[in-house]
Amino acid sequence: MGAQSAVVLRDVKKAFPLRGGLGLEVLDLEHLALPAGSCTVLRGRSGSGKTTLLNLVAAPTAGTVHVADTDVFALSEARRDRFRAENIGYVFQTFNLLSALSALENVMLAMMFADAVPQHLQRRHSTGLLARLGLAERLAHKPAQLSRGEQQRVAIARALANSPPLVLADEPCASLDARTASEVLAIFLAVCREDEKTLLLVSHDEAALGGADRVIDMSELNRTEARKGST
Amino acid sequence: MTILTVALKYLRGRLVASTLTAVSIALGVSLVVASVLLAGGIKEGFIAGATDYNLVVGAKGSPTQLVLSVVFRMDLATPNIEYTAYRDLQQDPRVETAVPIAVGDAYRGFRYVATNSAYFAAFPWRRKTFALAAGKFFADDPPSDPTYEALLGAEAARSTGLQIGDRFYEGEEMAEYPLTVVGILRPTHSADDRAIFFSLPSYWGMNEVARGMAVKPLTAVLIRPKRMSDLPSLHRALNVAPETQAVLPSGVLLTIFNMMAVAEDVLKMILAIVGAIVLLYVFVSMYSATMERRREIATMRALGARRATVLGIVLAESAALAAAGGLGGIVGGHAVAYLARSLLGSSGLVTNPFLFDVLEPAVLAGVILLGTVAGLLPAVLAYRTEVAENLAPLS
Repeated sequence: MGAQSAVVLRDVKKAFPLRGGLGLEVLDLEHLALPAGSCTVLRGRSGSGKTTLLNLVAAPTAGTVHVADTDVFALSEARRDRFRAENIGYVFQTFNLLSALSALENVMLAMMFADAVPQHLQRRHSTGLLARLGLAERLAHKPAQLSRGEQQRVAIARALANSPPLVLADEPCASLDARTASEVLAIFLAVCREDEKTLLLVSHDEAALGGADRVIDMSELNRTEARKGST
Repeated sequence: MTILTVALKYLRGRLVASTLTAVSIALGVSLVVASVLLAGGIKEGFIAGATDYNLVVGAKGSPTQLVLSVVFRMDLATPNIEYTAYRDLQQDPRVETAVPIAVGDAYRGFRYVATNSAYFAAFPWRRKTFALAAGKFFADDPPSDPTYEALLGAEAARSTGLQIGDRFYEGEEMAEYPLTVVGILRPTHSADDRAIFFSLPSYWGMNEVARGMAVKPLTAVLIRPKRMSDLPSLHRALNVAPETQAVLPSGVLLTIFNMMAVAEDVLKMILAIVGAIVLLYVFVSMYSATMERRREIATMRALGARRATVLGIVLAESAALAAAGGLGGIVGGHAVAYLARSLLGSSGLVTNPFLFDVLEPAVLAGVILLGTVAGLLPAVLAYRTEVAENLAPLS
């Protein structure tokens, strides 16, 4: 494992159980290393295992996954939860903000699960993050009172709340219109660059592909996909 | 942010459902609290009404009927005894106080009670005190010259609208013997609030049969002995007499309480069913809230929330709902008791709706515990939310 690699996955597999004891293999990955502070974009057809791969980084089930020199798979579940809270930010395609909480509270919620930011600084830190994402005037708004682009920016702020070294994003702009998508993506990439985050992004957006240090096609990475392609 | 603040935000997020659940808990709890207060108040009322005197002497017959009719005015009057029985008891060295009572007809449903001034005297051993709201007590007049002065209980005065100086009678045949209101009592929260008092000579004067009798009639004599040790011998002696029986009101209370116990058991069963329905309601409310929120719970897990944290949030929500409902229910129960005392106080219900029982914190703790238990299954559903299977785009 290279010293500069923020994430190293080795022999990671995922199969969904089927009736009759057989499993449907969806991912078989030999090796993937992400250099610290890099931006990697995963692309591939639907069902090629992109989302499964992101899930396994956050909650592995087979193989070895090292994030920030920690073997995530070796941790107990409770410690893995805490590790995830402090080291991995996650941006969902469908935002998944908590409807009962305001923008500010959604960001502060993520801090509740980690010890990264002291209690008395959480409000100020969250306010600062939202301001960086252009939401200084939207702190007290509930998700339903925000536009979709604003909701995704809150979700990005939430992913960055505990200053995790690694950020995973699963098609963060797929549900936004083209113009909003490119705005949100630009600000997301800029913030990650500024803070030197290691970013693993599933996207087909040209702007994302253009801003990436590396673009990986799942058909090359996922041996299950490669086998499908050769048959 | 803490588990509790997130739980409270969630509750506020679905304000209508949360309020309805808390109100249903409050209704259930207030029903229980009010029932306990009122059942206690009814018993307290019987005890308060019956314990000033240790013996009730009346005609032979049912002891329960004698006490119910003379003390609580809840049953038909027993047959008469002779006035001489009162005279004898008054002179008995074992008797501290003897009070003659004649229970007669009624004016617009308010019972006539003939007695003398001893009935209202402020003896040191008396629990009940009589105070005037207006006017004066009626005079202890001689049998030859009845005054027909009436003293009205508070509810009797309020309901009939009679005022000091008003003359009244019930039935044309009584027009010759109208009573004149000379006093109105303050509420005593006993059967006396519904009584119309006047002197025994007035009673005998109004009663056609009594007018012609050489020895005047009475319904009963209330007795307080000088020493409690004299009570058994008095009781025995009066029961041996051919005309009279002596009843210990405390013994009759046991009979009444035994009859009430059956109703109390039924009430307890109904309350238990109400409790079960409320618990089920909390469960359904928390279950549907948790099911609606599976995606958000998965999101929290993905953000690093431990299983115990999401379990805690759901349990804190149901505990907070139960606490709000429980507190509201205790306040509501006391409010119902207050209303009931206002409406039913004159029938002998003695309850202090502002008196908080030491058991109430325990009731509240029990409600919170049960409410939390009702939230347990939804909380376990939240607890079992897997990260890997729910991180995916949840669409």
